[in-house]
Amino acid sequence: MDNASTVIRGITPATVDLRGLVKRFGKDVLAVDDVDLFIERGELLTLLGPSGCGKTTILRLIAGLERPTEGQILIDDDDVSRLPAYLRDITMVFQSYALFPHMNVFENVAYGVRVAGRPQEEIRERVAEALAMVGLEEYAQRSTSALSGGQQQRVALARALVIRPRVLLFDEPLSNLDAKLRKRVREDIRELQQRLGITSVYVTHDQEEALAISDRVVVMNQGVIEQIGSPHELYTRPATRFVADFIGSANFLPGRYDGRVVDVLGYQRPHEQDLPSGPVTVMVRPEAIEFARPGEEGFEATYLSSAYLGPVTEFIFDVTGVEVFATISGSGMSRAERGDSVRLRFKDVGVSLLPPD
Amino acid sequence: MGLRFSGAWLPALIAIVGFLALPFGRPGRPFLTIDPNLYGWAIGHPLLWLVLASALAALVISLLKLPTSPRGDLLVVAGAVGLGAGVLWLLLTATPFGMGALVAATGMALVLGHALSESGRVQGDAFIATSILIVSLFVLLFIIYPLFMVLRSAFVIEGAFDLSQFRRTIGHPLFFFLENPRSAIDEVGLTLRWGVVVGLLSAGWALFRRQRLPVVLARLVLGGVLGLILGAMFYGRGALPTSLLTVAIVAPACTLLGLAFALLGQRSRFRPVRRSLDVISVLPIITPPFILAFAMIFLLGRRGIITHGVFDISSNWIYGIPGVALAQILAFTPIAYLLLRGSISSLNPALEEAAQTLGAGPWTTLKTITWPLVRPGLAAAFLLSMIESLADFGNPMILGGDRNFLATEVYLSLTGRYNAHEAASYGVVLLALVLLAFFVQRWWLGGGSFVTVTGKPSGGALAPIPRAIEVLLSAVLVVWTLFVASLYVSIVVGSFAQLWGVNYSLTTRHYRDFMTAGWPVFLYTARVAAISAVPAMLLGFLVAYLVSRHRFWGRRFVEFGSLLSFATPGTVMGVAYIFAFNTGPWLLTASATIIILALVFRNMPVAIRAAVAGLAQIDPSLEEASTMLRARSFTTLRRVLFPLLVNTLVTGLIFAFVSAMTAVSQVIFLVSPGNQLATVLLLGWVEQGQLGRAAAMGTILIVSMLLTILVVLALAQRISARVVRVES
Ligand SMILES: Nc1ncnc2c1ncn2[C@@H]1O[C@H](COP(=O)(O)OP(=O)(O)OP(=O)(O)O)[C@@H](O)[C@H]1O
Ligand SMILES: [Mg+2]
Repeated sequence: MDNASTVIRGITPATVDLRGLVKRFGKDVLAVDDVDLFIERGELLTLLGPSGCGKTTILRLIAGLERPTEGQILIDDDDVSRLPAYLRDITMVFQSYALFPHMNVFENVAYGVRVAGRPQEEIRERVAEALAMVGLEEYAQRSTSALSGGQQQRVALARALVIRPRVLLFDEPLSNLDAKLRKRVREDIRELQQRLGITSVYVTHDQEEALAISDRVVVMNQGVIEQIGSPHELYTRPATRFVADFIGSANFLPGRYDGRVVDVLGYQRPHEQDLPSGPVTVMVRPEAIEFARPGEEGFEATYLSSAYLGPVTEFIFDVTGVEVFATISGSGMSRAERGDSVRLRFKDVGVSLLPPD
Repeated sequence: MGLRFSGAWLPALIAIVGFLALPFGRPGRPFLTIDPNLYGWAIGHPLLWLVLASALAALVISLLKLPTSPRGDLLVVAGAVGLGAGVLWLLLTATPFGMGALVAATGMALVLGHALSESGRVQGDAFIATSILIVSLFVLLFIIYPLFMVLRSAFVIEGAFDLSQFRRTIGHPLFFFLENPRSAIDEVGLTLRWGVVVGLLSAGWALFRRQRLPVVLARLVLGGVLGLILGAMFYGRGALPTSLLTVAIVAPACTLLGLAFALLGQRSRFRPVRRSLDVISVLPIITPPFILAFAMIFLLGRRGIITHGVFDISSNWIYGIPGVALAQILAFTPIAYLLLRGSISSLNPALEEAAQTLGAGPWTTLKTITWPLVRPGLAAAFLLSMIESLADFGNPMILGGDRNFLATEVYLSLTGRYNAHEAASYGVVLLALVLLAFFVQRWWLGGGSFVTVTGKPSGGALAPIPRAIEVLLSAVLVVWTLFVASLYVSIVVGSFAQLWGVNYSLTTRHYRDFMTAGWPVFLYTARVAAISAVPAMLLGFLVAYLVSRHRFWGRRFVEFGSLLSFATPGTVMGVAYIFAFNTGPWLLTASATIIILALVFRNMPVAIRAAVAGLAQIDPSLEEASTMLRARSFTTLRRVLFPLLVNTLVTGLIFAFVSAMTAVSQVIFLVSPGNQLATVLLLGWVEQGQLGRAAAMGTILIVSMLLTILVVLALAQRISARVVRVES
């Protein structure tokens, strides 16, 4: 996909606005619970969350494959909540790729243009353009079953792009690929999306993938949005314990905050965050902990155990009866014994406050 | 985004033109005559003006530039009012519908379909919404309404609710009587004795199992009632006990034999055994349901080869319950086999392997793993055999002798005694029994939709059955096969023999007779069957697609309707169609039309099953992908599902054709001299004792059905091979 000169003409990205969206299945299952979300023109927004939290359902609601129980979906200010899927100018890349098994690559990609009744000449042109964009010009006459997983994925992408959608939806498009390939294909998708400037909604439950690819990430849990933000915001300033835990890992320590200084583990640290004074939960990323050099301020801890992982070592310390995890680069205390006393400190980033539990 | 015009404008226009240019009703006139007095505007009833007004409103609204969804809402109102007003007028005045009514109603239904889709009230495009609407209307008109007319005819006499006719029917000795003054035995006393004995036995068993006293007492009462029923079945006479006793013999026998064959078919060590079972499973499809009964006359009748020829007895023993039961066991065991094959083959071999690695021998595995898992399949096979046996018409007609059965009484009371109310009353009883069996089965097996449950065989090697059992079962299979084979052979031989039992010299006389008396009927039947097969298949496919791929209001209703048309005994559906379509607003003048419609809705469930099984193999995201590429659902059906389902569709088509060819019970009421059907004629010949000619017709039917199946299946394989070639 390095053919940077090919750009699909005629794509006019749209905004998507979800207002008070609710989706029930039957009486018992509340898959999406009052979701408000605005998706900017041309951004890639990721829906991230554990299995069953309603990501796919939101995607299918936007696509028109499901009808909302309540609420509205606006595309460029048009209310499409009740509009059938085929009138919405949206398309979707499926987790299983959903390539038509009785058609070859060309026919698969041509499908959307063909059913729109375009002339033969235009079909050929647009298919060639789309295949070039994903680097599969040579494969037009291949059967889809004779392609690798990554290639099938790209055919699915070309097939979606060929109809020049205003919004592109991805439902876990990489989950059928092996880990190495996944990384490459996600970079390709991101590069293509930015080049075309196409509004995209991307569903995944892989936090690393979400952070790597997105302009903004929506973290969901049990049908509700926990937090919306850039990958950096989510990682450094998670709004809830769920988000902090789901994206990366974290220590949660009891503390107090007076508006300027946070008091945690008997250690006073200046901190600025928009939170009322009083008891707080202090979230500390494991990599935000390091050994205090002599003379530096810090706090006492007792070494419990460690695991050497190459570039980093994982430690477990006891701090006044609380277990603290830390990942520290280098192999500092290779000969430490259980019960040894050490001094630790927090780095500047990677510490954030949450409301108390 | 959205639609500029509503797609409803065209159907609205069609409705208007149909209303203005074609007569709305046709009292006493053939469908195609044009009588100026019968135009909707000439009749001038307010409801008819409402039809025209809403069609005009629909046309105008469709062309207004409004947002898609609110415009759809307005059109829903217009379409529903127009359709409702037209139908209401027909119902109120009981005028047979005319061409104008048909066109206008179709137009308004299409308006409503477009409107439901555009308003977002139904999720899907206009094609889906219209299909849902039309399928629901069909279910209502061709399944629910006729059955309702049966109920009405049984309980409503001259416009008033009246139980007297129903009471007279079930009080009549033809229905049930116990004490026979002309017999030497005391039937009532014996029946009471049965009640006491069975009651005591069941209470005794409960005591032996150390149950508590209330349980023991309950068992005593239940057992007593069961004993009384058994006794009444055994000693009583009349259609009810006769049918029930037959069921009590046939259902267990079919289930056991079906299970035996299914075990052999899946797990026999011998390939030929498994092969022969494939043949057995096809036989009932290509054979008219009563042909074996007819062949039994050749083998076991007064002049039968076995009875008379070998044992030199000349008796009528096969006429009555024994003969009917035997014929039904032969006919329905393959059906039980097919059901149980699914349930045996869906057993996961890993479970049995797991049991065996835990130290269980083949016996223990069979008892603790296999048996509990096939139990639901057994229940299904049992109840289906029950239903088939109750509903069976042909076998009792041929072999019933002096016993009368519920299914045949429906026919005889209408065509012999000309008593529509009595026929309806029998129909109600039969329907009640069958539906009871059906719902007991569904309740027993819990949940599970009739339409969407399919047994998919899982791979893996299955443990063979214990050798002793296999030998026993194989012996049963051999006896069975020999017997059935000799029945088929006897039909062929009988068609060439001068006079069965008297003169076996060869002749082609029967074939010559058949050519003059039967051939035109045979061709006509083939044409009717072919005409009915296409809509049956398309409708079945559509229903399967809607029910398994879409969620919509009324889905349960459509499922229930197809279940009803599947479960309703053919004779009941037959009278129902007479009641529904021989007079009144839905009068269909040509009886060929009624026959075709009856066959379409009779065979639709077969096509539904085939299509559901096919659809289950296809990932729904293929269709969603097509939708996402802005294909309408009809395009998706045509370009994605049809090519992938060619095989299934062709199979469904042949099954619909062949079962239309061999159907008898639901069409026997509907034939008329100009519209005679092959199976009905064949049945008539057998009853008149023209066995040679009947055998000739039977032979030709069986051979031609077999050829049809083989040829079409080979063709389908070629076609799907081509699809696969394109694929790879
Ligand atoms: N068609 C349906 N009928 C009933 N319940 C459904 C249906 N589709 C989804 N659900 C339920 O809605 C909830 C949300 O499902 P959804 O598929 O949106 O989850 P998800 O976040 O995409 O999960 P995953 O990561 O496993 O794909 C789940 O509890 C699911 O069981
Ligand atoms: Mg999902």
